[in-house]
Amino acid sequence: MIELHHVCKRYGTKTAVEDLTLNIAAGELFAFLGPNGAGKTTTIKMMCGLLFPTSGTVRVGGFDMARQGDAARQLISYLPDVPYLYDKLTGREFLQFIADMYGLNGDTSRRKIDEVTTMFELADFVDDLTERYSHGMRQRTVFASALLHEPQVLIVDEPTVGLDPASVRKLKNILIDQTKKGTTVFLSTHSLDIVQELASRIGIIHQGRLIGCGSLESLRKQAALQGSLEEVFLKLTEEAAAEGNA
Amino acid sequence: MTPAFRTVNEGWLFQQLRWRQLRNTTSIVFGSSRIRLISIALCSLLVAGFVGGVSWAGFRELEQRQIFFAGAIIGLLFDFLFLSLGVMLFFSTGIIVYSSLFHSPETAFLLSTPARADHVFAYKFQTAIAFSSWAFVLLGLPILVAYGVVYAVSWHFFVLLPLFLLGFVLLPAAGGSVASLLIVNFVPQRRKQVLVGAGLLVFAASVWWGYHVVRSSGELMTGNRSALEDLFGWLKFARNPYMPGHWMTRGLQMSASGELGAAAMPLALIWSNGLFAYLLATAVARRLYRRGFNRIATGSSLRRRYGGAWFDRCLGGLLWCLDRQTTLLIIKDVRTFRRDPAQWAQLLIFLSLGLVYIANSRQFFTQEIGQSFAQGVSLMNLCATAMLICAFMGRFVFPMMSLEGRRFWILGLLPMRRERLLWGKFYFAAAGAIIVAEGLVLAGDIVLGVGATALGLHVVTVAMLALGLSGLSVGLGATMPNFRETDPSKIAVGFGGTLNLIAGLLYLLLIIALMAAPYHVLIMLKMNPMLDVGHVAMVSAGVAAGLLVGLAAVVIPLRMGIRTLREMEF
Repeated sequence: MIELHHVCKRYGTKTAVEDLTLNIAAGELFAFLGPNGAGKTTTIKMMCGLLFPTSGTVRVGGFDMARQGDAARQLISYLPDVPYLYDKLTGREFLQFIADMYGLNGDTSRRKIDEVTTMFELADFVDDLTERYSHGMRQRTVFASALLHEPQVLIVDEPTVGLDPASVRKLKNILIDQTKKGTTVFLSTHSLDIVQELASRIGIIHQGRLIGCGSLESLRKQAALQGSLEEVFLKLTEEAAAEGNA
Repeated sequence: MTPAFRTVNEGWLFQQLRWRQLRNTTSIVFGSSRIRLISIALCSLLVAGFVGGVSWAGFRELEQRQIFFAGAIIGLLFDFLFLSLGVMLFFSTGIIVYSSLFHSPETAFLLSTPARADHVFAYKFQTAIAFSSWAFVLLGLPILVAYGVVYAVSWHFFVLLPLFLLGFVLLPAAGGSVASLLIVNFVPQRRKQVLVGAGLLVFAASVWWGYHVVRSSGELMTGNRSALEDLFGWLKFARNPYMPGHWMTRGLQMSASGELGAAAMPLALIWSNGLFAYLLATAVARRLYRRGFNRIATGSSLRRRYGGAWFDRCLGGLLWCLDRQTTLLIIKDVRTFRRDPAQWAQLLIFLSLGLVYIANSRQFFTQEIGQSFAQGVSLMNLCATAMLICAFMGRFVFPMMSLEGRRFWILGLLPMRRERLLWGKFYFAAAGAIIVAEGLVLAGDIVLGVGATALGLHVVTVAMLALGLSGLSVGLGATMPNFRETDPSKIAVGFGGTLNLIAGLLYLLLIIALMAAPYHVLIMLKMNPMLDVGHVAMVSAGVAAGLLVGLAAVVIPLRMGIRTLREMEF
């Protein structure tokens, strides 16, 4: 569903992503880890078509993001780390706008809006202007909007920031349900416990290079360590840093 | 179950989005911020009324004097007006389109949806036009209405006027938008230099051209016929038959004389070219918008180095008399201001315009001017400078406290008394305002040749204005902060900003009425630069009262601000 083929991305003289090749199948929950500034958000932005690779290709659902981006974006929902909402719209109006943007017809959009409103427990505030929402309420509204059109690819950047434990639990369940329905989930986060619990495969990026990719078990083998994901992550990134300095 | 989809009409969708936001905003404004709405409407009416009044007086003068070629002179004025407004619209729309397409979280969000690039562009272009043409309507409409009233033109003129104005906006706005798309795509790393370079070039050309036009206009008042030919020569560029501004002039003059058929041709030219330019701009956006978005995000290095340490050291040295913490706070504010081109560019443009005005104010008069007239003009210059400081304070100083926003906890936790924060901002604002305003007023007075007494009075009045307006803006800014907003222009037009503006205007009127106006009025009435003892006592009493009012304008708002800061939770 998501294919990155020898992707490089440069900001001026600095290389943010270097020769990244990834293939993520439909229905897979892929977790993307890395220290701050490793190239995670740049990779995600290339997958959404906000940025173009300096070299290499990015394909989503078989569409080349550089040439067929509009068609590819019809399949994608992207949740950035700082979600955007129109302050002067109510939550319901925002959901309606997103439903219209993805071309859901009248009955379907009403049904889907009711469905996500219940799923994310938005009913108490969905008719208030979003400028009055707390961070958690904003996160839930944006997440609800992302699922309206039943995307084939869900790209999520740091989804748990600002959510209470009950909302985090709900979010985990929803991500699991989505993958069961065949949605490909690309999850970028620093919450390693969530990754350990949910991800079928994990990619670790460091200074733009993919230094590890596979199941937790295969990463443990690569790190020669039988510990938690946190220990494996720290060992692999420290080794990569030492290699880079050498 | 896969949801049922339909074809998306994005244009309609964006119009609906705009309509919903407008409806919600309007209901909030009518429900809770009526004072703000009334203040904005009153200020707009005041500006439009002033422009209309001055234009009416000018056109009436032309009509009553029965000047030969009056029609041609009016045509010339219109050509000049539309050329100037066109250039302003080109730059203002270009800048607004640039920031809303490439630096707004909304467009980053829209570009991650299936919305097509040209539709996103069209949506933001229409918003930019609404913003940039607001000033165009506020300034252009009263001038043209005054012309229509004085010359008692055909009713067709008033009916067609909005159509002409609406159509004219499209062409420069589309040009500015295409220019911003091309700059971002082809010189993404040097876009600021290109913009500053273009701005300086246009400014230099305008000053050179304006100087000659004003000189020729001044000679025209002496009845010199060759001056009229000179003036026509200098404005030849604006009168070119291919210039859209000239189409406007021709169309409006035709409709004024009731020649509907003849007015239709320029109107059609304006609309067809405007709509074509708009289509062209959307076609350019379809190809270049996403590419430009990518280039601007990745055109330069991720990390940017900022220099200017030597400047901060010099500033620190100059502020030796203040305590270390206040000095550091002032340096922080100067640094923040210096690194935001949107802030200092506006300041620079207004200052340059002020200087050009002062330098040229004497050029209007080829003969020696009377003392009474010089006194009147110098009082007018003082009022203009005071209004300028008041506007600067409202736009730049009032939002300073609010802009600390979510970072306020950093300052709140520092081991210092919170009032230092206010004093730092007050010193920064007052010093800047005193230097700029004293410079402008002194330059104007020297050019006009007013006496030493008027000069001295102006120096004291301007100092009180700068101090009082700084105190008001800093104090009220701390009393009514808006920590949720990050855009200083939006903070300035909020409720607190509007209240600050009104308080500032009342203060400047009071100070000028107490400290400067009595002297000028007495001189103008007596026609003699020497005052008798009774008049000197009267002027002195006014100055003393002004000093007391100024002191109150500094102390009271700052005390209110300090109290709010001390009680503030974060």
